Amino acid sequence: MNEGKRGRAIRYLLVILVMFLIIAPFYWIYSSSLKVSTEIVAQWPTLFPESVTFGHYANLLSSSDYPIYLTNSAVVSFATMVITVVLSTSAAYGLYRLPFPGRKTIYRLILLAYIFPGSLLLIPLYVMLSSLNLLDTQLALVIINVTFAAPFSVWLLKAFFASIPFELEEAASLDGASWLQTLLRVVLPLASPGVASVAIFAFVTSWTEYMFASVLIISDANRTLPVGLAGIIGQYVIDWGLLLAGAGATTLPIILLFVLIGRFFVNGLLEGGVKA
Amino acid sequence: MVAPLVIWLVATIAYPIFSLIRLSFLDVGVIGTGGEFVGLDNYQRVLNSRTFWPSMGRSVVWVLGNGLLQTVLAFVAALVLNLPFQGRALARTWVILPWIVPAVVAVIVWKWMLGTSGGVVNMILLRLGLIQEQVGFFSTGNTAMASLVGINSWRFFPLLTIIILAGMQGISKDLYDAAAVDGANAWKRFVNITIPGLKPVLFVMGLVGTLWSVNIFDVIYLVTGGGPSRATLTMPVLIYDMAFLQYRLGRAAAAAVLMAVAVTIFTIAFIYFLAPRSEEDDEEWR
Repeated sequence: MNEGKRGRAIRYLLVILVMFLIIAPFYWIYSSSLKVSTEIVAQWPTLFPESVTFGHYANLLSSSDYPIYLTNSAVVSFATMVITVVLSTSAAYGLYRLPFPGRKTIYRLILLAYIFPGSLLLIPLYVMLSSLNLLDTQLALVIINVTFAAPFSVWLLKAFFASIPFELEEAASLDGASWLQTLLRVVLPLASPGVASVAIFAFVTSWTEYMFASVLIISDANRTLPVGLAGIIGQYVIDWGLLLAGAGATTLPIILLFVLIGRFFVNGLLEGGVKA
Repeated sequence: MVAPLVIWLVATIAYPIFSLIRLSFLDVGVIGTGGEFVGLDNYQRVLNSRTFWPSMGRSVVWVLGNGLLQTVLAFVAALVLNLPFQGRALARTWVILPWIVPAVVAVIVWKWMLGTSGGVVNMILLRLGLIQEQVGFFSTGNTAMASLVGINSWRFFPLLTIIILAGMQGISKDLYDAAAVDGANAWKRFVNITIPGLKPVLFVMGLVGTLWSVNIFDVIYLVTGGGPSRATLTMPVLIYDMAFLQYRLGRAAAAAVLMAVAVTIFTIAFIYFLAPRSEEDDEEWR
């Protein structure tokens, strides 16, 4: 491409505009959560905090139920992640590497499951879980989050499994390895970016889920973060400082996770998108 | 290997769908009560209620608004992030951020930015002289709906951006080079090469994107709760209200079935009229 300095400047300006739309709200959460309450709701908002305070975060941790919500969310998300990884890697391996009749149909049905609207399932799942006496338990949330995370995970793993040469598995089975050994020792290590992507996706799906958590959980002690935070929004007088600190603290684990393995996740989406 | 997941999904999706249909013919209020067979009574009541058809209409507006805004935003972002620049890999990773944070976080930050006490959007519009006094974005029907579409689009366009970028990677560079030799300008290359090359991706995006956005509940419920005066009451919010605030499970189930029928009709029509001729390579299924 032959373009001068101006073309280059325009290009970078466009990039900055797009990234501004993405990043600016997050900057606004964090910078404002460090402001004192009167500055947060001042008529003319300030770009930087005039005096930095960690008071809202201290408040969040000491005088709200945030630590309980955080623990609940962590437990539910972690369990969802583990179960989703196990179920979806074994299903994806079976679908992509072991020849058996009808697997294409099964693959399509699993994908169909992913686009099935959650609001249709809300009522019957509520009835079902209540008859199993699982209302107001974290197990109920784990069951549902796995349902919504696993189908997409299978799809995501397809591209990663497809890129592993068959010869490696053939060599392993010639050496007398069972399929489970082959999966664990040969295939999974090579597909580890894919497994990481699935893990992050399952964790995030669970971490962000609101609708089911809002009806399946009844007692305050079992609430997850999204429902707990929503409870603070619903209060008559909104404490924006507390709410922004809550939003910032809820987003932080996701950002940290993304710093570590976000690359794999987005690459997985890019690869999967090409090959699907 | 595949069986555990299949069994899991049958228990949590297929069986519940069956029981939803059953429930829609029963007279159930609060859970665990009633259960008498009432035939089509629930359906009649839902179809004759004052809230059903307007909610269907709002869901259509919601889907169209989101589809339009997200497609435009995602195309612009994908074209920009496909340009050569330093830090491109980093930008492509972090563009997905709004999609992976909880809806409630997006709700908090946008509700506050669009609000009237300390709201930065109102301040900017005032400074620019575009408005004379603060706008209550969530206090009139049209602005509330538009704001919700904006907030939801901000959450979902990053995913579409990545999907379009993935599709762009699949288009051969040679095509662009040949077109450039023939003297086609950037716009012509976009229309004649990029768009046709993206057809399969756009098809999937249109279908899945519609099914996803029709289903959005959390953002709407948390920002406006369906208000002001039902202006943002879409189908999922209506169903939730009926089931868990009015305690009419049977009726809510009927409404959910009707919504499913509408969505299924849309899906079949979409696939029938718009599915690209697939030359699916069976190689990957060897």
